[in-house]
Amino acid sequence: MGTSLLDVSNLTVAVGEGASAPRVLTDISFTLEPRGILGVIGGSGAGKSVLAKAIINWLESPLRVVSGKVIFEGRDILTMSDRETRLLRGKAIGYVGGNPSGALDPTMTVGSQIVEKLQAVEPGTSYRKAQERVVALLDAVRIPSSDQRFNEYPFQYSGGMMQRAMIVDALVSNPRLIVADSITQPLDVTVGAQILKLLRELRDEFDTSILFVSNSLPTVADVSDRIIVLDCGIAVEQQPTADLIASPRSAKTRQLIDELPTLWAHDDRSRLKPASENARPIMSVRDVSRNYALASRGLLNFGPKRILQAVRHVDFDIYEGENFGIVGESGCGKSTLTRLLTALEPPDTGQITFEGKDIFGRGKEGTRAFRRRMQLVLQDPYNSLPPRNSIGTIIGEPLVIHGIASRNERRSRVLEVMAEVGLPASLYEELPMVLTAGQRQRVNVARALILEPRLMLMDETLSALGQTEQGQLLDLLEKLQAQHGVTYLYISHDIAMVRRVCARVAVMYLGEVVELAENKTLFFNPGHPYSRALLSAAPTLETRRYRSEDCLLDGEPPSPIDLPSGCAFASRCPQAFDRCLIENPRLQSRGGLNRAACHLLDSENTVPKEVSA
Amino acid sequence: MFIVNFLIRRLAQGVVIIFLVSFLIFTLLRVIPGDPVRLMAGGMAPDHVIDQIAEDMGLRDPIPVQFVRYMGGVLQGDLGQSFIRPASGAAVGGASFDDNTRSERAEVFDLIADTAPFTLQLALLAMAFALIVALPVGIYGGLRPGKWPDRLALYMGSLFISLPNFWLGIVLALVLSVNLGWLPAIGYQGFAYTILPAIVLAVEIAPFLIRSLTVSVAQNMRENYISVAAIRGIGHRRIVMAHALKNASVPLLNLLGVQFSMLLGGVLVVEFIFDYPGLGLLTINAVLQRDFPLIQGIAIVTSAAFVVINIIVDLAATTIDPRLEY
Repeated sequence: MGTSLLDVSNLTVAVGEGASAPRVLTDISFTLEPRGILGVIGGSGAGKSVLAKAIINWLESPLRVVSGKVIFEGRDILTMSDRETRLLRGKAIGYVGGNPSGALDPTMTVGSQIVEKLQAVEPGTSYRKAQERVVALLDAVRIPSSDQRFNEYPFQYSGGMMQRAMIVDALVSNPRLIVADSITQPLDVTVGAQILKLLRELRDEFDTSILFVSNSLPTVADVSDRIIVLDCGIAVEQQPTADLIASPRSAKTRQLIDELPTLWAHDDRSRLKPASENARPIMSVRDVSRNYALASRGLLNFGPKRILQAVRHVDFDIYEGENFGIVGESGCGKSTLTRLLTALEPPDTGQITFEGKDIFGRGKEGTRAFRRRMQLVLQDPYNSLPPRNSIGTIIGEPLVIHGIASRNERRSRVLEVMAEVGLPASLYEELPMVLTAGQRQRVNVARALILEPRLMLMDETLSALGQTEQGQLLDLLEKLQAQHGVTYLYISHDIAMVRRVCARVAVMYLGEVVELAENKTLFFNPGHPYSRALLSAAPTLETRRYRSEDCLLDGEPPSPIDLPSGCAFASRCPQAFDRCLIENPRLQSRGGLNRAACHLLDSENTVPKEVSA
Repeated sequence: MFIVNFLIRRLAQGVVIIFLVSFLIFTLLRVIPGDPVRLMAGGMAPDHVIDQIAEDMGLRDPIPVQFVRYMGGVLQGDLGQSFIRPASGAAVGGASFDDNTRSERAEVFDLIADTAPFTLQLALLAMAFALIVALPVGIYGGLRPGKWPDRLALYMGSLFISLPNFWLGIVLALVLSVNLGWLPAIGYQGFAYTILPAIVLAVEIAPFLIRSLTVSVAQNMRENYISVAAIRGIGHRRIVMAHALKNASVPLLNLLGVQFSMLLGGVLVVEFIFDYPGLGLLTINAVLQRDFPLIQGIAIVTSAAFVVINIIVDLAATTIDPRLEY
């Protein structure tokens, strides 16, 4: 294998000493050619991060290489001295990790730290020369106004920007290999898609090989030429990407593929219950806005107050018995909207009515009565249950809070509800620590259900669960809906989940609802460019109806503090024109219940730009 | 621009703080029992003389009126005159109610200006001694958590903090001055007289510095950016010197500010034991003599010093860590 850049053979890593020490990696072998991109995929605990670290000789005790070789350009990395490894890591191999926000010293500018690195691995480089090179690379990864950004501190960078800066940091010494460990994991899908695009371009431009590690098969498949599938530390399969997807050889790969939700295939969506024509709204949100005033940075706190516009003019109805979804990425106002809808905070302007009554209109008692009919199910299955209360107590607590049912009645009600959500009665006296994530979410559902609410707000309730558990919980929710006629409001960042369950979806961007559409319309004929961008970036192996190259410009959402005057999406929209920068489009009807806020809808013929299948 | 804003804002806050401190001290001094005029004029002075003097000095006016008059003087840099101390140096008081020289009482400003440099010198030397010990012990302890340097830092801190300062002062004076004759102990006739009290004070504050350093260095060494720096090819020494220590210095700096303010304002016991002619000794005497203007003057000057030190510390901290600006 004279031409290969990296040659890993029979690599075995164990935790702790001794022959019986548990193995984290077993007998891993692969080669990486120059200019190649090799993907490593596996679930949590599959050993993929350990593999990435072993390649740069960064295993910390108790992790230990038992046997094997990591030959990089003819030399075994695992037998090098500390000094040699240090120079090799910085110079010939660049490493980019999955936690960009904590990767640089917070007290020094980003630029000076990248220069510091370059000078450490290439002694004798003058500061000026190093700076020129860093600024040029910041340009190459499309960080706007790179001269100025060079002198900014890490906390002034967003997550996506920081990840770009870390890629510059890895690239600055012209490495032959970049190890990218879960680099898109903390990022929003649209930002992650931009980073992937960037990696492919950089490979072409700088002739760098890339080892790309991730737990998301679509992401890995998107960038890699070849893929290794890891399962419990064993490489179960290794094939070129297209072959791996088309004809997986191992059960693990097939499972990974089958687990993936589909957006466009399998058009049978039995869970979707379209709102019937004559259904009446259970909850109406009318022109609701919420701003937060931030401390002014002016003299003595006088001067203009800075206003963060978290939710702007949101307006929709939720009909009885339907599944309504709200999707959007971080910072879009989902959380603030949740707080408003659950009456934790009043809106600044606008009105929220539930069953025809203003949820804030009847004082404390009215709000309490409202909360009994509208329950929230939280996202995090681990932190949302008090660890020292028994499961029975947790589920029965809402009855105590609302002063319903005597002690004896309470017990029987709790057991009844537990049976309904599929929790065995034997768990009544147990503590939450014995539960799995899926069971914990069932406890959360039971705790809400015991009050017999009319509307249940699911705030990222399914996000922490695996596909199988998600499916089971959805079955349960569907059954409960059929029995009790509950209405569900799903709030999520996961567009694939929304595709599975929500009959109607509101897409939020920077505090506004930019599109409100029925499921099929949103996925097959979206009316807003941001909806298309979300679809283009969604993790899926399907042939995409929308490509991120066509649907999304570089850049990130503007700050909700200083909003641009026109359309908030204009800065990232490939179809933006003059009017978008001046005038903020209003939601307009696209027939039926579908509405979208885009100036392009005034001249419908310019809209859908689909990939011909 | 930020600096100017910051300074104006903080100085304005400082003025408010000093004003409140003055008002509080002023009022309390006048509400507590004990008539300073009686002390000043002497026990033998007839009541009408006492009343006359009090009247002349405005001590029978309502407290707010007195306060406004006093603050009017302070704004012009006049802290008033001592009730007791003469400008010449000899004690006034006792039976001297009919003494004509009473008008030549010492200016409070001068009294403070004469003693403050001694306290400043003592505070700086104590700080230097404390840092000489705390920096190596604390940093090394933070770099080797759980190992012997860490334990050394812990034990040393516990030992130092358990030594009462009056006891340590007396023992050191006995051993180093009386028995060995290395250092002078009582009074002030030259720089050497500062060393012993400074050592006592350094032992008192070093444990706080050691603990703060050990904890913050250890904490910073666990940060992600430190482990990533090694992967980025940066050498260990540079990681420690340029990154870990820089980040660990912010909490240390805050602590130094607090400790230094304490040294300036309240080293009563140590100055008293060593008869060191600083602000602490002046305060003790002023309190014992009910010398209102002097107590007030010291309170104003020390609170002003607190304000200035805090501004300097915060400014230095934002220079090190720009996130603090926000």
